[in-house]
Amino acid sequence: MTQDDKLQILKDILLKDEHEYALSLEQKLKDLEAVINQQPNLSKKINPIIDDKLLEFVEEIPETLGPTITETLKAEIKNSQDAVVEALYPIMGKMIKKYVQKEIQLLSEAINNKMNNTFSFESLKRRFRAKRSGVSEGDIILQDHFKPTIEQIMVIEQGSGIVTSEYSKTQNIDQDTVAGMLTAIKSFAEDAFQAETQNLEYIEYENYHIHLQNFSNYYIAVVISGAFTATFRNKLEDKLLDFAQNVINKTDLENSSILATKLKAQFEHEII
Amino acid sequence: MKLSKKVVLIGHFGVGKSSLIRRFVENTFTEDYKVTIGVHILKKDIQIPETNKDVTLVIWDLEGNDDITNTRPSYLIGTHGFIYVFDLTRPNTYKNLEFDLNYIKERYPNLPVKVIGNKKDLVTNEFIKENKEIFKQYVDLYTSAKTGKNVEEVFNQLAKSLV
Ligand SMILES: Nc1nc2c(ncn2[C@@H]2O[C@H](COP(=O)(O)OP(=O)(O)OP(=O)(O)O)[C@@H](O)[C@H]2O)c(=O)[nH]1
Ligand SMILES: [Mg+2]
Repeated sequence: MTQDDKLQILKDILLKDEHEYALSLEQKLKDLEAVINQQPNLSKKINPIIDDKLLEFVEEIPETLGPTITETLKAEIKNSQDAVVEALYPIMGKMIKKYVQKEIQLLSEAINNKMNNTFSFESLKRRFRAKRSGVSEGDIILQDHFKPTIEQIMVIEQGSGIVTSEYSKTQNIDQDTVAGMLTAIKSFAEDAFQAETQNLEYIEYENYHIHLQNFSNYYIAVVISGAFTATFRNKLEDKLLDFAQNVINKTDLENSSILATKLKAQFEHEII
Repeated sequence: MKLSKKVVLIGHFGVGKSSLIRRFVENTFTEDYKVTIGVHILKKDIQIPETNKDVTLVIWDLEGNDDITNTRPSYLIGTHGFIYVFDLTRPNTYKNLEFDLNYIKERYPNLPVKVIGNKKDLVTNEFIKENKEIFKQYVDLYTSAKTGKNVEEVFNQLAKSLV
């Protein structure tokens, strides 16, 4: 055995463990590098942890952030009450209307039942026509009289009665004084019945029917000639609520000419 | 774009609110007294002197009320300017001037209020001088719906402060 061999054996004895250890460390490092440097591998490791944390966070949100969010919302709503009311008005109107409509439908069905049980030659004729056209008998009686027509439509500021905008078929009604009078009558009626939440919705004047659709900062007055039937009124209300919700925006209320154009576009051909 | 303003005339019974408006809008006058019931609404398009701006005054002629606190609040909502009228010949119509004006100012701060002593044709300049203490502090103009004196001025001045 040479000196060298001996030395080698000694080396082996002293360093073999270390060497293997170093090799295994090197391998581990390589593995780790593979994990860290390659996105998919890293994701596989980390995602579950993040998911867990995220889940925890989401579960805790109501407790940690909830009060802050609620406060912020509350303050925001309070600061922009007008805007909120303006936005909710048409929607609320529709909801209430749906409810009332349903009630009325029930009532109307009850009446129709009664009518079905009565019998006359006239009603037989009417019933025949109603069947053919699909329109209710009662409405046919009225439509026979005369068709409803929108003569004028005005968007009027609540309180002051100032006309924000208007559209009329014929320019023979003085909008400013009419709108003022309507507003005064409305204020009077609402005062007299001491019902702040109740609005005057209908006025008859000579041969005209005036339908008033209330919103928070303004109301829309529609002057109608002809027969103001429930069907017509219903459709008109829907159209006005839609108009307020989808067509009118805040800038329109400050610009009478833009609003006038929109009014004309929507209500000129009153095929309601 | 058209500019419209709501102007409200307020004051005791029979002080000449309707007469002032009739003089301003139609340039007429009548001695007959027709009490206003509720409210009457008239309008006049005017051009403001100097600035040449067009404005429509929608004028609310309220029924007279000896107690301003009985005025229907809903008639006053959205008002842009007030004309407070009293009758120079009837002390009853101006004895509560301060209270009445405060009542308006409290509820409608920042709104212009023109205070006018009407029926000037029935009193002398001496009378006004004698009562200077009462009037000077509050009154903007002395008017006569009968002769038309200062009527246009009242509305023009108010309109000017509105635009
Ligand atoms: N001499 C004179 N009479 C006037 C004047 N203004 C009004 N009158 C008269 O006073 C009376 C009342 O006038 P109105 O204009 O009706 O008074 P008002 O304030 O509208 O009265 P109410 O509506 O009841 O509150 C009428 O007889 C008028 O002719 C004026 O400047 N001079
Ligand atoms: Mg009067």
